[in-house]
Amino acid sequence: MLIDPGNTPANLPVSAPLEFLPLDPTQPEGWTLTPECALVHRALGTAVIADVHLGYEWARGSGGDMVPAHTLRETLEKLTQLTQRLSVRRLVVAGDLIESALPCPRTRHDVAGLAKWLADRKIELVHIHGNHEGHGPTLLPLQIELGGWSIAHGHLNLDGGRWIIGHHHPSLRVEEISAPCFLIHENWVILPAFSSNAAGLDVLGSGLPGGFRKLDFQCVVPMEGRLFDFGQLSTLRAVFRPGSNRK
Amino acid sequence: MGLDALGHTGVRNWFESSFPLGPSPIQAAAWPVIASGQNAALSAPTGTGKTLAAFLAILDLLLRDHELGQLGTGLRCVYISPLRSLGYDIERNLNQPLLEIASGGEITASPIRVGVRTGDTTASDRRRLRKTPPHILITTPESLALLLSQPGWNDHWQSVDHLVIDEVHALVPTKRGADLTASLERLEALTKKPPQRIGLSATCRPLATVAEFLVGPTRPCALIDCPTGPGADPLELEVESLIKADEAPHRGLTYRRMIRRIHAETQANRTTVVFANTRALTEKITLDLRAAEQKAREINDQTEPLEAQAGAEHSIAAHHSALDAARRREVEQRLKSGKLKAVVSSTSLELGIDIGSVDLSILIGLPGSVVRCLQRVGRSGHRRGAVRRGLLLASTPAEVAGAMITADAALASDIEPVKPIRNPLDVLCQQLLGMACADERDEAETLALLRRSAAFATLSQEDFQACLAFLAGELSAPAGAYESDQSGGLKRSGARIWKTRGLFNVRNRRVMRWLWSNIGTITSEESVRVRAGGVELGTVEAAYAERLQPGDRFLLDGRVLEAKSRQGGVLRVSTVQGDPGLPRWTSDRQSMSPALAHRLACFREEAGNRLTSDGPSRLRDWLCETYKLNRPAARVIETLFESQASLSEIPPAGGLLIEEAPSEHGLLLAFHAPLARSACEALGRAVTARLGRKVARNLHLTVADLGWTIRFPDLNQFDESILRELFLAERLEPDVLEGLDRGELVARRFRYVASTALMVLRNPDRGRTRVGGNGWVSQRLYPLVKAACPQHPLIKEAQREALEDVLDTPAAREFLEREPVIQFRRLTAPSPFCAAWIDPAAAAETLAFETPGNALERLHQRLHAAKAAQAHKPAVTEGP
Repeated sequence: MLIDPGNTPANLPVSAPLEFLPLDPTQPEGWTLTPECALVHRALGTAVIADVHLGYEWARGSGGDMVPAHTLRETLEKLTQLTQRLSVRRLVVAGDLIESALPCPRTRHDVAGLAKWLADRKIELVHIHGNHEGHGPTLLPLQIELGGWSIAHGHLNLDGGRWIIGHHHPSLRVEEISAPCFLIHENWVILPAFSSNAAGLDVLGSGLPGGFRKLDFQCVVPMEGRLFDFGQLSTLRAVFRPGSNRK
Repeated sequence: MGLDALGHTGVRNWFESSFPLGPSPIQAAAWPVIASGQNAALSAPTGTGKTLAAFLAILDLLLRDHELGQLGTGLRCVYISPLRSLGYDIERNLNQPLLEIASGGEITASPIRVGVRTGDTTASDRRRLRKTPPHILITTPESLALLLSQPGWNDHWQSVDHLVIDEVHALVPTKRGADLTASLERLEALTKKPPQRIGLSATCRPLATVAEFLVGPTRPCALIDCPTGPGADPLELEVESLIKADEAPHRGLTYRRMIRRIHAETQANRTTVVFANTRALTEKITLDLRAAEQKAREINDQTEPLEAQAGAEHSIAAHHSALDAARRREVEQRLKSGKLKAVVSSTSLELGIDIGSVDLSILIGLPGSVVRCLQRVGRSGHRRGAVRRGLLLASTPAEVAGAMITADAALASDIEPVKPIRNPLDVLCQQLLGMACADERDEAETLALLRRSAAFATLSQEDFQACLAFLAGELSAPAGAYESDQSGGLKRSGARIWKTRGLFNVRNRRVMRWLWSNIGTITSEESVRVRAGGVELGTVEAAYAERLQPGDRFLLDGRVLEAKSRQGGVLRVSTVQGDPGLPRWTSDRQSMSPALAHRLACFREEAGNRLTSDGPSRLRDWLCETYKLNRPAARVIETLFESQASLSEIPPAGGLLIEEAPSEHGLLLAFHAPLARSACEALGRAVTARLGRKVARNLHLTVADLGWTIRFPDLNQFDESILRELFLAERLEPDVLEGLDRGELVARRFRYVASTALMVLRNPDRGRTRVGGNGWVSQRLYPLVKAACPQHPLIKEAQREALEDVLDTPAAREFLEREPVIQFRRLTAPSPFCAAWIDPAAAAETLAFETPGNALERLHQRLHAAKAAQAHKPAVTEGP
């Protein structure tokens, strides 16, 4: 069930097969958030996700941990839900598609598995460079332009303009709830981490980097096939973290 | 005379001249037994010469061998102590008499070589020890396991004749002890003839359990018990309340009084030891005591003020395990030689280091058990015949009651029985890996070896095979599970051992490195490095670092630091001046031993009855007479009971009191029961499960001794008619299990189990920084492993720990079968008993009865309600 304080029609069905949040007119036209942590440009048939971290289990394995294989399976399950909801021709991964830049045959197998799955469904994969793809020269683009917006990973400084980024893994934390969320502002959309292994950044705390702390983002949480609009961070802080003073 | 059992004249002469009063009772009883070669478990209070009882007999045998030319060059005796610092102490205590004995016989150097191997031993010393092992090796359980896993040491164990294990009472009830019993079997399997095993224990019962721990189920062992007899050191324990009867608990206020009180005692005594339950508090008290001392010196117009540098020649020092090893030894030495007025310690000084005689032990907060209380007070009056004096300082009414009960039980020497841990599978995995590193193993022989140890005497073939399968990487996914290579050609990752035809071994040097850098079962020592600028300052506990926010100040080793950021295993700080403020008190509440909790429950009932029937002043008199409590402290307790009686009611005798009160985040139900914490954990979970099924919402559970609370977010009232059915004994066990399943306890225990079994390495390979947050293991790995393999031995072990060590379901059942009286009260605020004993502000565990989506939806509704409330705030009304 979609919850939008100002404009909810009373008779919106509880679980319509296609649910999306019509963004406020000041937000970019044509973009749609989905409960699978994706931002979709429907006219261009493109879905943007970030921070997939494929091969996380192998990266931990190389450090000596024993972790069951799971990242490819979970990634494909989520993408299946996404493509059942909306049809797309292109998937942009805004950085950190893989967990580790070190050579790892198992990670390569996983990426190949993903590419094959996408190819079977005629979906093009666009892979943007993120910090987990490694430092140094790269063949991957650092940013692309789409629908009037620039899409990058978000680990490097970004000049003015409108940006869609990942990297920060924003997460709403209240009591026992810890939920990845979108952060939306006039010129910014920060995507939640697609991977469940990412340690989330508490959006109500003081962890956002300097420039972002000044912006009062809108927080939207994707959860169990639904989207929850939690409104502005300032209101959330006032209600759920009274007495915390931001510096 | 016991001394006759020692045959070497040099040894006897040395003893007679050093101890003119003659052997202590334990020494006289032990020497003949040890000389005869039997296994022996020695039990006596701290400071009665147990260590010398063991060592002198062994030195005697070794020196006689030397005279006969039979000493040889190999390792003869292994001494194991759980504390590193104890090891260095023992080394000093051995080398000293060895030299004196040697010079008595006109030899220039002792023919018997002593060596120490612990986590602190330098790399070059380790190499030296391996090349030329000493006759007597002093080590810790972890280091022993490590040495047994190194092929380079395999041949050194052949000549070992004696094994001495010190502080056994501290090892028996822990996984560390279980680990040690397996190591002892590994060692014995490599010796030419079965070594003699000698266990040294403080007063502990039952001694037969200690003996079985020492020698396992198949061997005989002599029991030598010398408890406090007539003429033994008398014990004086006093309880003082830092809070006055009419005051509400206030940490700042009681803390300041505490410092003044401790300062007064340090002035009045030659040396004082202060025990604080946490490291953070230890540091804070040290800092403030030094300041108080400084002020006192200035007032008394003494020599120029000492420079306040960390670690300078203060007469007040801190001692805890996060300190540098050299610093700790320095503190111990200075304390022993009387150069320190006071030492403030967390739990590190509790065990038997020889620190000379201390006049007074001050205990801040509750020690938690009679054993720990006696150990802490045993630090004082070390000389034979001196009085052991202890002062318990309590900051809240519940602490006063708890301290009073503890003192009473301690004066009666009512020591808790030890309960060993059976078949801990995580420890088994670590041991199997260690065995495979040293040499190739036969499965059947290995199982037989393990079954000779106390901890694994009843190990099943099934569990044994499951652990081997896990280590071989066979349990990462059930057969036919999804693999990223559809052709199934990929090997599973992380396999540690290679198994074939009933044999197993480790082939990969990397795996050996993983074991050697991660060995150990001490679960609380996850630590985070602290860095200022680029300089390493030391470590703090990971749990402590997790709670720090940027800008928080804390103390480390006398320096005031401000937290800036934390990345992985490093906490970045900056050094600042000024007051660090009080450390967070969240986790200093020690739960009590079941025996003490039972006494507390009985006391609470009795006190309640007396208040009701005889009135407050008679209650006070009873407290002062029966428990020897001073009047102000008695008044504090009396006030607590009186306010409980007036605001709510005293729990019925043998029954339950349930109170409902609104709280900040919904409705709070407090349950007061005459049960120890472990029984409350079981019953609380069952009740929460039963409630959760009815309301279909997430519930928050906090458990303590004598009760628990359940918080219902978004609920306004509670239907009391359902209360009776919550406490039926029927179906108790399945409901306890459901409560466990829906909660976080097993997942949390899994984190430690996974570390011990080396499924997840605390120190990853080649210092790679850990990715994923601290909760990753409990929140992500645990469900993944459970889904891939529900019967995984480590899942089983986490569940066993929860069900056997944390919960006490039989006690809960027994309580319910008595059909206790249930009283219900609706209040406007949490009752005094609730605030005093259960502390609902402590971290609660969430038991999930709804999907995350539904919980999120309710949160969303709360946000709406809050926003609507703000929007409709009444405007200022104008006058008519």
